[in-house]
Amino acid sequence: MNHYNRRIQELNKQLYGKDYLTQQLIKGKHFIDKHFGAGIDLDKISREAHLSKFHFMRLFKATYGRTPYQYLIELRMEKAKELLKRGLPVSEVCILVGFESIPSFTRRFKKITGATPAHFQRLKRKSNFG
Amino acid sequence: MKIKVTSVPVDDQDKALKFYTEILGLVKKTEIPLGEHKWLTVVSNEERDGVELLLEPMGFPPAKVYQKHLFDAGIPWAAFYVDDIDKEYNRLKSLGVVFSMEPTQMGPSRLAVFNDTCGNNIQLVQIL
Repeated sequence: MNHYNRRIQELNKQLYGKDYLTQQLIKGKHFIDKHFGAGIDLDKISREAHLSKFHFMRLFKATYGRTPYQYLIELRMEKAKELLKRGLPVSEVCILVGFESIPSFTRRFKKITGATPAHFQRLKRKSNFG
Repeated sequence: MKIKVTSVPVDDQDKALKFYTEILGLVKKTEIPLGEHKWLTVVSNEERDGVELLLEPMGFPPAKVYQKHLFDAGIPWAAFYVDDIDKEYNRLKSLGVVFSMEPTQMGPSRLAVFNDTCGNNIQLVQIL
């Protein structure tokens, strides 16, 4: 066995010894993956993972490097970009990815991508002709 | 400042292009002749406007030593994300790709490492 494979095995044992916890965490993440467009919150997600809210949040952050909420927003933004590229109107995209108002969607989108949804859509549509 | 390009050093650009496109399924994006070598990049077929991977000619002897030591230790030069690592592993395996690590669980992810035939190990990652 080479050096890298040995290190991966050692690290896995050291960091993720409690396999059932990892499995519960993954279950919570899959719940977010499936329902990110609906109104889900930490209560629902942690219940799905059979962990307390606090425990779930701490473990999630330590494992995935972001809080469940940050991850949820990331997923919503990825989906929003995809739908905007396909030409759906901003108001429709906003609802489909789980936001309740256009201003909060626009603010969040701009913070993450650097452009407003409308501007992003214009840029992408233009580059399609190139 | 934007991160548009990253690179893997390759021993032969034509061979690398063949492997990265025909076997891995990436797509050629840019090819600019530069004398003996060329500026040659590929992108993911699923993200054609994503980060470009430069297949960079390995011509600097000290770097060659570094690359060889990484390779011999099984350490990947780069990592690519996949949705289903078992499917990708089986597909590549059937095309003759040699793996030094079969799909292996590492906490919330699964990893596999293969030989890109151009001097590097490349890691596949699936986040569970």
